[in-house]
Amino acid sequence: MKSNVIFTILSISLFLLNWEIFYWSIIRDPFLLAPPSRVVPTFIRLFIGQDPSFYMPLDVLYSLYHYAIGFSVAVVFGVSLGLLMGYLKTIEKIIAPTIELLRPIPPIAWIPISILLLKLTHVSAGFIIFIGAFFPILLNTRHGVANVELKFLEAGITLGADEFNLLRKVIIPGAIPSIFTGIRVGSGVAWMCVVAAELFGVSAYGLGYQIEIARLYHAPEIVISYMLSIGLIGYVLDRMYKFLENRLLKWRRGLVVE
Amino acid sequence: MNEILRVTGLRKRFNELLVIDGIDFSVLEGEFFCIIGPSGCGKTTLLRIIAGLEKFEGNVFLRGKPIIKPGIDRTMVFQDYALFPWRTVIGNVVFGLELKKIPKKEALKMANEMIRIVGLEGFENAYPHELSGGMKQRVALARALVCDPEILLMDEPLSALDAQTRIEMQNELARIWQKTKKTIIYVTHSIEEAVFLSDRILVMSKRPAKVKAMIEVPLPRPRNRFGKEFLEISLRLYKILENQINGPGGI
Repeated sequence: MKSNVIFTILSISLFLLNWEIFYWSIIRDPFLLAPPSRVVPTFIRLFIGQDPSFYMPLDVLYSLYHYAIGFSVAVVFGVSLGLLMGYLKTIEKIIAPTIELLRPIPPIAWIPISILLLKLTHVSAGFIIFIGAFFPILLNTRHGVANVELKFLEAGITLGADEFNLLRKVIIPGAIPSIFTGIRVGSGVAWMCVVAAELFGVSAYGLGYQIEIARLYHAPEIVISYMLSIGLIGYVLDRMYKFLENRLLKWRRGLVVE
Repeated sequence: MNEILRVTGLRKRFNELLVIDGIDFSVLEGEFFCIIGPSGCGKTTLLRIIAGLEKFEGNVFLRGKPIIKPGIDRTMVFQDYALFPWRTVIGNVVFGLELKKIPKKEALKMANEMIRIVGLEGFENAYPHELSGGMKQRVALARALVCDPEILLMDEPLSALDAQTRIEMQNELARIWQKTKKTIIYVTHSIEEAVFLSDRILVMSKRPAKVKAMIEVPLPRPRNRFGKEFLEISLRLYKILENQINGPGGI
């Protein structure tokens, strides 16, 4: 445990040192790249909202807002449609071909149509994020429902469960681990899409948008600071779902061993 | 004793394959009834038919009413337990009671009582993955018994256990059966287990299965596994089973 911490510190220090050396030995141009010694103070100044032209706390809020719009809708529709598709073969047959047609289109490819239809709005950014998160959530939920073991279904039936109770008390609890996998994968994709959507100007606010603005200002230390904050928030979001998963799925611990 | 289950002219096909070829028997109320036979002969299929999990030709009556689908009057203990891993011990045991719409407080009381009967006090809040095989089987038994079924169906419930736990669980089962006075239909491939537990033993022939013999076990309980009569009945059973595996008697 302790040696892990040491290796983490060592790894990051080496990376920063090399970056610093790389800047001063090769680049040496503040309009192209910034070394860590310049990025770190800039990041702190931005993060606590002390920069005259960029107010990062507000950008964080806007990005989380876009994320919340797209991701929550994706969870609601992805999970419910996934449950339906996994449970009812007819619905699966009707919907699956369309899903397979739309799924390979990258979320970024939806940006132009989103701008045309929804203009430069928060909803427009939310739409891109929805596209990104929807498919992993849908497919994992469907997989989870369709793969609940037959023995659990038969146990439920012989204990007196009707169709509705079977769905509520056996199929959904049995599919929860897959649903959570879908939510975590979906959240990761959603966060990438936040940056992409804002970067392309779907919304005039947020972390992704400011990165682009900072590039136009030729301020690489600000660009990198925003990159850092995007990474940090993505990490925190993932940890949050992981924590939630461990709390809700206590029964899974040790199950892998069996 | 009254007849509780009657099976007449039962046949079962899986597509073209005839698995059960005309079986007739009846089970008495409160009886410990074993079904034994060579592996693959359709013992489990027969049990699943009674549970209502399989389609079939012929008639199966429970107290005079034909069985057409699963029902809470026949609960089942599965070979691999089939405990819900997302529910604790108590959660698994109350499952059937929840579906019966029994008020929560009363359901928990009944479940706790049943957990005590099967000897699992102190493990109410454990999850299945934290339990040993024998303990899981006790949970499965409690879950099926607490629903107070007319008939308890058990499908080789002890076959996944080690020899020592198996003997311990056989003793437990005999004790619990005497305490609850349930009708039990029990599928096994172990001669000793059948003789130790049953009032009567139905011996099935190899596929396509027919009734090969019906053996009474009129021994007092608790039974001595090494008593003279016990061994005599075991030997008789052994000969019937051996005969149909090697000899021409298998039809």
